[in-house]
Amino acid sequence: MRSHISIAIAAAAALALSATLLAQSQATRGTPTARPAAAPQPKSTMNPRTADGHPDLQGVYDLATLTPLERPPMFGNNLTLTPQQAKRLEQQVADRKEQAARPSDSNRAAPPIGGDGSTGAAGNVGGYNNFWIDNGSEYVTVNGEKRTSIIVDPQNGRVPQVTAAARQRQAARPNVPTSDQQEGTDPGLERAPGAYDDPERRPLGERCLLGFGSTSGPPSLPVLYNNLHQIVQTRDTIMILNEMDHDARIIRMNAEHLPSTVRKWLGDSVGHWEGDTLVVDTTNFTDKTRFRGSTDQLHVVERFTRINDKTLLYRFTVEDPATWSQSWTGEYTWPATDTQLFEYACHEGNYALGNILRGARQRDAEEAAKKSGNR
Amino acid sequence: MRTKVVFALAGVGLFVAAAMPVVAHHAFGGEFDANRPVLLKGTVGKVELVNPHAWIHINATEVTVAGEKKDLKGAAEEWAVEGGTPNTLLRRGITRDSLSGNPEVIVDGYQTRDHTLLRANGRNITFKDGRKLFMGSSGTGAPKDGADPTEPGK
Repeated sequence: MRSHISIAIAAAAALALSATLLAQSQATRGTPTARPAAAPQPKSTMNPRTADGHPDLQGVYDLATLTPLERPPMFGNNLTLTPQQAKRLEQQVADRKEQAARPSDSNRAAPPIGGDGSTGAAGNVGGYNNFWIDNGSEYVTVNGEKRTSIIVDPQNGRVPQVTAAARQRQAARPNVPTSDQQEGTDPGLERAPGAYDDPERRPLGERCLLGFGSTSGPPSLPVLYNNLHQIVQTRDTIMILNEMDHDARIIRMNAEHLPSTVRKWLGDSVGHWEGDTLVVDTTNFTDKTRFRGSTDQLHVVERFTRINDKTLLYRFTVEDPATWSQSWTGEYTWPATDTQLFEYACHEGNYALGNILRGARQRDAEEAAKKSGNR
Repeated sequence: MRTKVVFALAGVGLFVAAAMPVVAHHAFGGEFDANRPVLLKGTVGKVELVNPHAWIHINATEVTVAGEKKDLKGAAEEWAVEGGTPNTLLRRGITRDSLSGNPEVIVDGYQTRDHTLLRANGRNITFKDGRKLFMGSSGTGAPKDGADPTEPGK
């Protein structure tokens, strides 16, 4: 058994090394996958088309993918995985799912007092059973190659460091909710004074205002579940319906942006065609949207290109000089799906928000009782 | 060379870990009390397949909270257990009728921070023979806790 494990480890190491070397050589040669910024014009299959002659982008798309937004630092500037490496990683995920679906001990005890050590959204209490989760089974494939990150520029596949001004801004307002708060860094009840004082201090996702993790966009990013998005297209208006939280982005074609006094949760989107690519320009965000800590000066440009009859290539560039010293760009595919997008009436059963606030009030009462007892 | 191999292998492990879910509708740690683990045994009652998260009601005849088994004096206690978004279940063909017939279940999780509520997270929900209530999709980020007898090393 031990020898099998050793062989598996050696194989994994060899795959990882070959991926590293391959990507390094690609970077040296300056292949398109390693080249940042300049938006390539992907070839379109030219069909299907709408009556006005433009590519028909309509359909329901499932954005779930194993490829993370940011590349794990271990992969350096390597944008791609070898087919063997991708296969192995995807198999590991499949094995984990299979294992998680196996029966538990029917004589099991309650989990440990003090928490089960889980991290992220499962915050030391284990979240919920894995059957609720649907975050993909494959890495993104672009130009026939599996990707290590959605971000393609900067070359390291990471969101650029925020500016000093942005750091100061965030430090001054640590408890202001954002559209994509990383729940894994939620400080919890004990270490965030004021964060649980009222609903307005809670993250936008928790309040059912916007889907978490920027699923609503722009830019639209893959999340833990409910990654379905539907595009409905006419000559003058294009709509992107996000399953979570049932948000409709309305893109006005060949139009001017609204006056800067008009601010919207999802920004103001106008579109035009560049050849067979739909280009969508979004500004006029509210100062409460705050995608990754950005300001209301956030500017997102998205490019949608049909690369075959089942797939769109989605490319986006994000800029906000008050937050990042450089713009950054990501791309991934939107595969069409036959499954149905459902309504997401988030307020309907949002008991969690009430539970969270009630828990904080109980803590307040206990602390007050303790203080009065000490007098 | 040996250093490089170890380094590369660690990279693969971290990459898989990085793909694990870290963001959800809300932080469970803010809602549930890590010092109040519960084990519930009973039957499924009402099923609320509502957004953002489903709630499954359990008529529990055996309740253990924070290591203490409650004396229910023969009565049942109704607990509500939080699951995930119902949309995903619907796409897999699961509806609230999938749990009709009041099946017997075992739930382990943690109680809400407000202890006056009989609510817990559905950290692990199984039928009484240990089979998972629904089939899984992927990990929650929870570490191995020994509840699964098929775990390697057990």
